[in-house]
Amino acid sequence: MKAVCWHDKLDVRVERVPDPAILNPRDAIVRVRATAICGSDLHLYGGFVPGMVKGDILGHEFMGEVVEVGDGVKNLNVGDRVVVPFPIACGNCFFCQRELYSLCENSNPNAYMAEKLWGYSPCGIFGYSHLLGGYAGGQAEYARVPFADIGPIKVPDSLSDEQVLFLSDILPTGYMAAENCGIQRGDTVAVWGCGPVGQFAIASAFLLGAERVIAIDRFQERLRLAATALDAETIDYTEDSVLEALKDMTGGRGPDACIDAVGMEAHAHHSMAFAYDRVKQAMMLETDRPVALREAIQGCRSGGTISVAGVYGGMIDKFPAGTLMNRSLTIRTGQTHVQRYMRPLLERIEKGEIDPSFVITHRMALDEAPLAYRLFRDKQDDCIKVVLKP
Amino acid sequence: MATGLNLKLNLTRADRLGYVVGGLALIVWALRRPSFARAGAAGVGGWLLYQAYTGRNPMFKPLGIRVNPAPALPEAVETIVVEEAITISRPRTEVYTFLARGENLPALADEAVQITRDLPGEELAWRATRGEALMHFGSLGLRDAPGGRGTIVSVSLEYLPSGGSLGAAISHLMGRSPQRVLADKLRRARSLLETGEVPTTDGQPTGRR
Repeated sequence: MKAVCWHDKLDVRVERVPDPAILNPRDAIVRVRATAICGSDLHLYGGFVPGMVKGDILGHEFMGEVVEVGDGVKNLNVGDRVVVPFPIACGNCFFCQRELYSLCENSNPNAYMAEKLWGYSPCGIFGYSHLLGGYAGGQAEYARVPFADIGPIKVPDSLSDEQVLFLSDILPTGYMAAENCGIQRGDTVAVWGCGPVGQFAIASAFLLGAERVIAIDRFQERLRLAATALDAETIDYTEDSVLEALKDMTGGRGPDACIDAVGMEAHAHHSMAFAYDRVKQAMMLETDRPVALREAIQGCRSGGTISVAGVYGGMIDKFPAGTLMNRSLTIRTGQTHVQRYMRPLLERIEKGEIDPSFVITHRMALDEAPLAYRLFRDKQDDCIKVVLKP
Repeated sequence: MATGLNLKLNLTRADRLGYVVGGLALIVWALRRPSFARAGAAGVGGWLLYQAYTGRNPMFKPLGIRVNPAPALPEAVETIVVEEAITISRPRTEVYTFLARGENLPALADEAVQITRDLPGEELAWRATRGEALMHFGSLGLRDAPGGRGTIVSVSLEYLPSGGSLGAAISHLMGRSPQRVLADKLRRARSLLETGEVPTTDGQPTGRR
């Protein structure tokens, strides 16, 4: 089959590799119908995530048709059309039983690696470094899906591939980011980063009852999408000081909740802090650049909540612990417990409350993946979200 | 944990003897023709003597190497101690039955393993030999996790050091230490008991050539 393989920093290639096979009783094989490049794939593409090995198959957002099931999979049949959640979760362990699927204790065969870096290991994830299991990903013609009796959700024929594809990651991720805000009537939510997860976080914040949502980015096409498709107010951080603008827009008090939908590779406009972090990251003195996270903490109203959906990998520097403590702030975060959200969000899509395909700007063939990664990374051609068709 | 030992040592007797010899050699070498450079060597020598005296090398501390100078089994002069615990979301009798089956016992891969104590549902102890020689001995204890959260398995294992603390440190850094073997065996047990399979990627496609 053909698959998108990681070779090095900024070097991904479409290559012929063997077809996947069933390795465990609860596995299934899915023929991929649609797959997407995630913003977090760009952290791998940029070489910011440790534990990548030459030849690793990328991709954790995919859906397709079941072509083979292991003996232990009773709820799926060959021919079923399914969306696959990016966290691999067993459904049996302490964490899965509490619906904390991305913390599954039984899905990361390389748990010892993650333990060294993070203390304990989270779940395995498709195509997301050997730290998280080294599982072959879904940017391929076929993918092996472990614990297929727990993860994949069947989707009705009435919905197109593109309408359901984002149930695999970014729609639940945006939704969980908003849910973690604990939104109450009259709340204003500020969202740093208006990529696809930011867009879904904005949409979800409104669905969960936010009065106003303020979207922060520097790319005009993203800000325009947030304003026109979702009715958000916007701040272009290259034009205005974000903290001052937020203060002005919220009656001098700050937003009730702040969502960091940016993560470890944040940018800032001509700021000393950005230069400082970029240099330290390049020198391997810190792994992540927390520009957006710092700003979200600093800008949040006292007693408010900071919800972190953006991916961080390691250590950050100059963390405003004093702000956090003295102003009674709460931080909530985590890799998304996708399995928990797939069914309710599928219902919302079926009811027409949200059509996630609005973020798609590019549809390309799997063969064009190297170009797609480049376009998405450099935000060329107003690229917001790429869907690849094998 | 299981041993209840307060182990502060991380150097074996052989290590300490080596440190004394090495430390004295450096100091003698420095004194024969004193210079600033050789004064540094004498300093290192002194540091080695100090470690031999205390029985502790601070560089091994982060690796969790612990030496037991007085093991419970008389045939072992001294041992390196490894401890691990895991919580498995299954009832205690089921966990016991599983672990008591030969290949599932969280023992190291030695030639012959012989059970020395067996309290069903509570405790298992074993000793492992190669030929006549004792290689390691260990025990596991089972208890109910609070709030119906399954079973806590605590394992304590002592092996006879070959290569001393440095050997243990190297195997740690190479990722093949008895600690890793034990942790992997317990993880495997949990996966099999909770999910019926062991997570793997062996045999999956890659673009590596």
